[in-house]
Amino acid sequence: MISLAQRKHHPWPDAARCVVGLTLDFDGTSLERGRGQLPLGARSHGRYSAKCGIPRFVEMFTRQNVPWTFYVSGYDAEESPNLVRDISRSGIEIGSHGYLHEGVDPGDAEPELLERTHRLLTEITGIAPKGWRSPSGHKTARTLRKLRELGYVYDSSDKDFDLPYLACYDGEERNDYVCLPNNTSSLDDFPFYRVSYTPPSEVLVHWKQEFDAIYGEGGYFNLTFHPRVGYGSGSPARVAAVEGLIEYAKLHEGVRFVGMLELAQWCLRSPADWRRDWRGQ
Amino acid sequence: MTKPAVPVVVTVNLQGKTVELTQLGEDALFGRASYGKYAFAVGCERLFGLLDRHGIKATVFVPGAEAEANPDYVAGLAGRGHEIAAHGWAMEEMDAPGIDERALLERTHCTLTRIVGRAPRGFRAPHGRLTQHTLGHLADLGYRYDASFQDDDHPYRLDADGGRGMIEVPHAEILIDATLYAQRQTRDRVMKMWREEIEAMHRERSLIALTLHPRSDYGSARASRIAALNELLSWLRDLDGVSFLTCQEIADQSGS
Repeated sequence: MISLAQRKHHPWPDAARCVVGLTLDFDGTSLERGRGQLPLGARSHGRYSAKCGIPRFVEMFTRQNVPWTFYVSGYDAEESPNLVRDISRSGIEIGSHGYLHEGVDPGDAEPELLERTHRLLTEITGIAPKGWRSPSGHKTARTLRKLRELGYVYDSSDKDFDLPYLACYDGEERNDYVCLPNNTSSLDDFPFYRVSYTPPSEVLVHWKQEFDAIYGEGGYFNLTFHPRVGYGSGSPARVAAVEGLIEYAKLHEGVRFVGMLELAQWCLRSPADWRRDWRGQ
Repeated sequence: MTKPAVPVVVTVNLQGKTVELTQLGEDALFGRASYGKYAFAVGCERLFGLLDRHGIKATVFVPGAEAEANPDYVAGLAGRGHEIAAHGWAMEEMDAPGIDERALLERTHCTLTRIVGRAPRGFRAPHGRLTQHTLGHLADLGYRYDASFQDDDHPYRLDADGGRGMIEVPHAEILIDATLYAQRQTRDRVMKMWREEIEAMHRERSLIALTLHPRSDYGSARASRIAALNELLSWLRDLDGVSFLTCQEIADQSGS
């Protein structure tokens, strides 16, 4: 058992000092469909993802030559199967992200939705997803049970830790499933482009400050962004902000860009390194 | 080889008291319910005066009821070279229950045609709300384009969405003044955001679509905001290769 206070240095792949996970959540029209809305007019932002935002991100990632991870809802995959297949074939991990980007805990309907999305993504890409990110952040022990049953080895949804850690549910710490936390208050585009309406240049400065602090302590940097307009980063100025962060991270010694599944498998190779102190929690 | 031009459209949603009248009666449009009356009292002339000084022909989306209440002003805008297009009847939500959208679209169409002397060729849905039938109705009425969507960097054909033979001239949520002023952003912050987004759009030669309102709450018509807009337009006009067009001109170019 290792406490966070004792963990100034971590055993990252390639003896890196800091890992950077770039994660893009598709968030196409599944959001509006999930709310029972037509994705038309002012509600058409999700249509931008497949047409403009994702191609712009793919081009930028290719230019920067960095791995990234793509979380896709079942409905969006059904709408854009070729786009998802092409990205998968280029070597990028496709993780699952709900069926209709469920905004609230779907309750007893969840296992079927997880299965449906799992089946769809497997059929489209030929590869069974092993990673999940909660749409809208809801997650329960029921979710974890189903994900384990489907063969998942990680999800990137929790906000309660600065480092990867072994999942603990139903009173047991698992050696075969790791949580790769994200933070949708600070390391995400939504809060700045939808909640506070911050100019992209200031968002970039903020992310650089987050990076500096994480590079100095912990070394696990997981950034979430979306290819939409509206709350997302699909527009030219906002993709440039993400690119600016990538270029900034590259200036630092010992930075390793990782796919999330790659990182999860790395952690699960030596689970004992990723046990967390659960006392009092 | 010269680079392709960067198209810029300046659109104005002419929303006056029809906004408040969706909730209140005419005799209640005082105090905090009087922002809409600012449009024809002050805002329109300040905003269109600025655009005229810059020589910019705007595309003006006008609710039928606003035109009926101010026919001379709306006809005058057309006379000054601005394009008059349709913006629903009176800020109704097309997809709300009990709305006869076909009748409202026809009523607006006839009203604007009578007042302006020519039929509107374009439409922007009030509140950006459409039903699955809206584009089909517009195609039936002979509309050339819609400008309600916020989903592309360039104009595109609407056939697959039910708008037979129509073009979408999309706009961008972040370049709508109401998005930011309704959030109580300061004008300097709005201009900072707009410059950053526009600079990057210009680099990629995307369609740049500004959306303005002649109001004093969520619009651009107060004196300090007009001054900021004046600076922005001067800067924008000096960017390499920009070409100010109306939405109809964009649609006509895109259809060929």
